[in-house]
Amino acid sequence: MEQQLLDVAWLDAREVIPLAELAQICALSPAELDELVDYGVLVPVEKAPQERLFSAECVMPLRAAGKLRQDFDLDLFTVGLLLGYLNRIEALERQVRTLKARLPA
Amino acid sequence: MKYKDYYATLGVPRDADSEQIKKAYRKLARQHHPDVSKAPEAEARFKEAGEAYATLKDPEKRAAYDQLGRRPAGEEFSPPPQWSHDFANDQAFEGVDLADLLAAMGRGRGPSRGPVPLKGRDYETGVRIPLEDAHRGATVSLELADGEGGRTLEVTIPPGTTDGQKLRLRGKGGKGHNGGADGDIYLHITLAPHPVFRVDHHDLHFNLALAPWEAALGAEVEVPTLDGPVMLTVPPGTRSGRKLRLRGRGMANGRDGRGDLYAIVHIDVPATLSERERELFKELATASHFNPRARSDKEKSHGTATA
Repeated sequence: MEQQLLDVAWLDAREVIPLAELAQICALSPAELDELVDYGVLVPVEKAPQERLFSAECVMPLRAAGKLRQDFDLDLFTVGLLLGYLNRIEALERQVRTLKARLPA
Repeated sequence: MKYKDYYATLGVPRDADSEQIKKAYRKLARQHHPDVSKAPEAEARFKEAGEAYATLKDPEKRAAYDQLGRRPAGEEFSPPPQWSHDFANDQAFEGVDLADLLAAMGRGRGPSRGPVPLKGRDYETGVRIPLEDAHRGATVSLELADGEGGRTLEVTIPPGTTDGQKLRLRGKGGKGHNGGADGDIYLHITLAPHPVFRVDHHDLHFNLALAPWEAALGAEVEVPTLDGPVMLTVPPGTRSGRKLRLRGRGMANGRDGRGDLYAIVHIDVPATLSERERELFKELATASHFNPRARSDKEKSHGTATA
């Protein structure tokens, strides 16, 4: 039971993930992640001078964008555009959940 | 080994250039992508198109494939003997699929390199749990279509999960091969609708119905929480729509803290009135100078109070 708890990682803003691990689980190379950072669609968290760290929140959208890249043979710039839209959808879905909760039933 | 006609799969002539091949593939991929098409054969068609494109987009693989000549799809054939050395680490072709053989090109080719480590398969799956389980933590059973017959995995979800939360279960996916790491499970958690509480991240909201006199005079009312009922002080002059906060009575946040619980006030009136109630309301209507439609916008705004 304890072991299982240790194996669970929250994929939200509370956790960070190093560049190498993010690249490995999203089927992208570290150089490709660097390019997405250059495009401004992937932003490392601050206070990480040696190793570049990213919010674990970006894992699922990045995996989804990477999968679409494979499925449709997209170039990396398009992956960057997709990532922007996927992040926006995620934020809007969160907003919808919040608004639904606050509305009187 | 069975021959597959990749050109026919993509619907392009054998002398098609790379742009034609890419365009044909994307058209088919768009048509049959599992996110787009729910037709029963869509996934198989999507995989066939992907397999054909993986070979035809790569000049080296395409040249090797073209060496096989033109045959009817499904015809049994033997690849050139050189392929055994080039693509299959000098192993026999028996039981090998054409796609696997062509996919082996460019990775681990030749006997000196040895087998290439392959990461185990990742799984993405969803689970819906009751709100109370998300708050306290829970063990759920995941059914994974892993190998023949699948397998069941018991997973402990720690307290502090909320609606839309994603978890990564490291190394719980498919087994890696040739020294490759085991795959992961990506678990998307949603919360089942609750009869009382609505979830906003780690905060909870619920409707608190008040009688007009409770709202006007203030009252002590019993309200539900995840820990059982508690008494809430409703301040005098509480308007409909006002939010009363019960600090730290929301969901566990997984960091030794908790969200807040919000009671959203709405004022209810009796559907039928007794004779006495009617008299009292009439008396109030005569005595009161209150006009809810005369208030300024500022007065109408709903505040939030801490209980």
